[in-house]
Amino acid sequence: MTLDRVVWSMLQEALAVYRDSPRATAWLRSHVERYTEPVRIAVAGRSRIGKSTVVSALVGDEFTPQSSFVWYRGGTEPRAHVFSGPGRPHEVTIGRRGSRHHVETGHVDRADRVVVEWPARTLRDIVLIDTPAEATPEQVLGEADALLYLMRHVQDDDLKFLQSANDHPIARVAAVHTVAVLARADEIGAGRIDALSSAKQIARRYRRDVAVQPLCQNVVSVAGLLAVAAKTLREDEFQALRILASLGREELEDHLLSADRFVGEQFPVPMEPAVRQALLERFGIFGVRLITALIRQGFDSQVKLTGQLVQRSGLGELRDSIAIHFTERREILKARSALLALDVLFRMEPRQNARKLMADLERVVASAHDFRELRLVAALQSGRTKLPAELQAEALRLVGAEGTSPLARLGFEYEADHGELREALLDALLRWQAQAADVHAPNDHRKAAQIVVRTCEGLLPQFR
Amino acid sequence: MAPPWLDVLDETIGACVTHRRPDLEARLREKRAQQLDPKLRVLVVGESKQGKSQLVNALLNAPVCAVGDDITTTVPTFVQHADTPSAALVRNSSARGSIFHTPTERIAVPIDQVTKQVSTAHAQHVVRAEIGIPRALLDNGLVLIDTPGVGDTRSAHTASTFATLMQADAVLMVSDATGELTSAEMTLLKKVMQACPNVTVVVTKIDLVPSWRAVVERNRALLARAGVPAKLIPVSSALRLRAAKTGDQRLNTESGFPELLACVQRDIVASADLLARRAVAVVASSALTQLVTPLREELTAHDSSRTAATISTLQEAQRRVDELRRRSARWQNVLNDEMADLISDVEYDLRDRTRKILREVDKTYDEADPAIGWDQFEQWLEDNLNEAATTNFAWLMERAEWVAAKVAKNFPVYREDLIPGSVLPDDLLEPASKLEKPKIEPFSVPQKLFTGLRGSYGGVLMFGLVTSLAGMPLINVISLGAGALFGGKSILDESDQRLKRRQAAAKAAAQRHVDDFFMKFSKDVRDAGRHIQRSLRNHFSTLAEELQETLLESARSAKRAVQDDQTERERRMREGRKELDKLVTLYKRVQALGGPAMELSA
Repeated sequence: MTLDRVVWSMLQEALAVYRDSPRATAWLRSHVERYTEPVRIAVAGRSRIGKSTVVSALVGDEFTPQSSFVWYRGGTEPRAHVFSGPGRPHEVTIGRRGSRHHVETGHVDRADRVVVEWPARTLRDIVLIDTPAEATPEQVLGEADALLYLMRHVQDDDLKFLQSANDHPIARVAAVHTVAVLARADEIGAGRIDALSSAKQIARRYRRDVAVQPLCQNVVSVAGLLAVAAKTLREDEFQALRILASLGREELEDHLLSADRFVGEQFPVPMEPAVRQALLERFGIFGVRLITALIRQGFDSQVKLTGQLVQRSGLGELRDSIAIHFTERREILKARSALLALDVLFRMEPRQNARKLMADLERVVASAHDFRELRLVAALQSGRTKLPAELQAEALRLVGAEGTSPLARLGFEYEADHGELREALLDALLRWQAQAADVHAPNDHRKAAQIVVRTCEGLLPQFR
Repeated sequence: MAPPWLDVLDETIGACVTHRRPDLEARLREKRAQQLDPKLRVLVVGESKQGKSQLVNALLNAPVCAVGDDITTTVPTFVQHADTPSAALVRNSSARGSIFHTPTERIAVPIDQVTKQVSTAHAQHVVRAEIGIPRALLDNGLVLIDTPGVGDTRSAHTASTFATLMQADAVLMVSDATGELTSAEMTLLKKVMQACPNVTVVVTKIDLVPSWRAVVERNRALLARAGVPAKLIPVSSALRLRAAKTGDQRLNTESGFPELLACVQRDIVASADLLARRAVAVVASSALTQLVTPLREELTAHDSSRTAATISTLQEAQRRVDELRRRSARWQNVLNDEMADLISDVEYDLRDRTRKILREVDKTYDEADPAIGWDQFEQWLEDNLNEAATTNFAWLMERAEWVAAKVAKNFPVYREDLIPGSVLPDDLLEPASKLEKPKIEPFSVPQKLFTGLRGSYGGVLMFGLVTSLAGMPLINVISLGAGALFGGKSILDESDQRLKRRQAAAKAAAQRHVDDFFMKFSKDVRDAGRHIQRSLRNHFSTLAEELQETLLESARSAKRAVQDDQTERERRMREGRKELDKLVTLYKRVQALGGPAMELSA
């Protein structure tokens, strides 16, 4: 039985055991419901780091920031509900403020949670949760299956947050739910035109950093404002930017030196200061610099520009990361959340007849092969387990560090046919069996090889 | 004339010496040397990636510090005046060691290479970089120190920043305009204020942020709320560098640097004396606080704890005397019981052995004739009895030693000479009386003849009468034959009886002898046992008395110590109070140094 089936049946069994406790039943019901939902991804970070901006960029529409938890779910038409206190949620309207959408929660003093249903392609596979800056790790992770943690540079406070996110014993066994994001990538390079590529390099360095690596699956850099701009660039804005780009480079440069200068009185082309102010607020001084430079380089239609911006802002990479680490591993993340929930239940309301379930929980946590694969990935990437270089790359690929489809695991760049895949799989299996049986190899080496062998064996039935 | 702060500082150093705090003394001496040094060190601190190095570069209009998008500054960089541009790396000669007090070496490097060399990985042991450039700003001894960012994950950087902080006369705390001061930055600011009170907060990167004015306002409010009396100046290094390149005065003004430079000139360079006073006030008062705290504690807690220690010694001593008394009753009981057991056991053993010998004797003389080989028998009996005695006695000795050990175990304390060397009486085992030979009557030939004749007489008469009936004479062949037969038989009978008698006599003699032996020897054994008991008792009581005397003595001395302590403590209290008063006066003078502009939280 696969992990998600095992956990599902455990949830059902727990429902039966705890059927006389209303609190436990409510708790389990909510988790059963959650089990079939898309992955819930919380976006967290310090205040003013750009959480709402990143969420907006992912959703594809700009929303005004709120001071409470805001959930974005897929839906056929825009709707919003406010959950406040124990009462039933009530529906509120979604209005507009400038170019942004705004959820009118005005008459509610303090909402526990705002749930926005929004027709967006991204939201088909995920639920995004925008969190307030002062939320504790427990609050952030209680409802979420995965975490996007935003930071500027990795600082001690950020590491502390991530460590507390991995503090629970089950969480530690399956530390598989975090992607760190260097947000505000444009500011990292002091607004220089090449700021984004250097931000990417820094993200790459952090990926290898021993302090950061065990705490998250990946580190990507994102320029939030640009990413939103890419998704929501309007025609009038594009035209304004084109006018700016039509100025000489030298001439424009003087006026792009600082934000103050850009909105100042003296400006070489007739353009309302209010328009310039709006551009500045939407894209930032760096955004204006980059976009004018891009237009000048020949990305002069809105479509071309948008594509370029998605790529440059790091939004594409962020989406890929979400896909590989969260969406593709939905079952594991859901199972993990459910196991955590069961563990909480067993500790809050220990019972004699739940003994078997508790033992099951322990066994599943200790033995689930999916967790083992992920643990191996973490161990290999953090250098805790060392394999020779060429083996390491293959092991990482086979256990699914680059994607969990058979194609990705076996390292095919193209759609290979059945026979080819089978050949490659058998080849890998034999090679790793030899590795696992190599008596001269160190212990961790052999253990790693055993996990890889188990993975290959698991793939085998698909190619009979 | 020496400035007033120097006197106060020297006095504080003196106080540190009297209170044996070489660490504080070293720190203060460092501060003193630094204050006497005409150089003014301005430290640029802040979290990583706030634009510290760029700020230094912009202040000097020269790319002296490495700037980059990732963590770049890894060691403090000292920028000071020099007539010609020069640069050097200072490295630890030893591989490991603290920032200070280790031998260092200076390596001159070309000025355009220094930024690269500092940030490359092979510069492992570089502790700082020193750069000299000709700038009017640095003319009057100003030294700008660029530091690695605080709060970075690689904590070594942070450590070196804090080490440099101790040398600073003034601090420029850098925070960029993309966000207001974070709680971590506020903590850092407060920490900095403790070491060096002359802090100016510089908000950088205002060119990037449209809403920088709001950020500055929020920061001002934050500082006011936290009660931090620090100035706040917004600047843009990018604009300043650009202005320097193009010579655009207006841009320069926009960058905010003229204000910063004026501030540096006015608050740091021009008021060096005030800075010195403030800095000395802070450092000296922190040192004095450290001196006063333990002293105060000593006055209250420490002495009472010492008295408590002596009293507990006294209680312990008394407890041990009681314990000893209780235990000595126990070892005496053990000795009595064990010795009683021992003596009865040994006696039983002896009786058992002698009975075995007697049984052997009986068996022998059921068969043998004592007339033959009595001497050998006598020898055998003596040997056996001797052997029984020796074994028995050896056993007694063994048991006696065991008893001694057991008593020693029950003795309250352990000592080397606890088990006595010898417990044996000297005069032991006198031989018992000789075995007297039993009377043995020989069966001589005339006796045999007489007995034979007496026996044959009946036979002759009996058969003679019978045969006379058959007409034969009374004495005939038959009656003579029968007479001979009868005579023989009676001789045999007689000798048999004599043998029985002899055997009985021999047995009785042996019995008597063994009884004698037993009587004598068992008495000896009992005496020996009593002797042993007596000597053991003497031995152990002597030990116990000695021990008791020692314990009583220690209890007495503890009692004396308690009394002595009282007076000693009073003396120390008086001295400590005097010291404390002195320090407090000094502390007040130190605080007065800071001047009315300073709000010192002591």
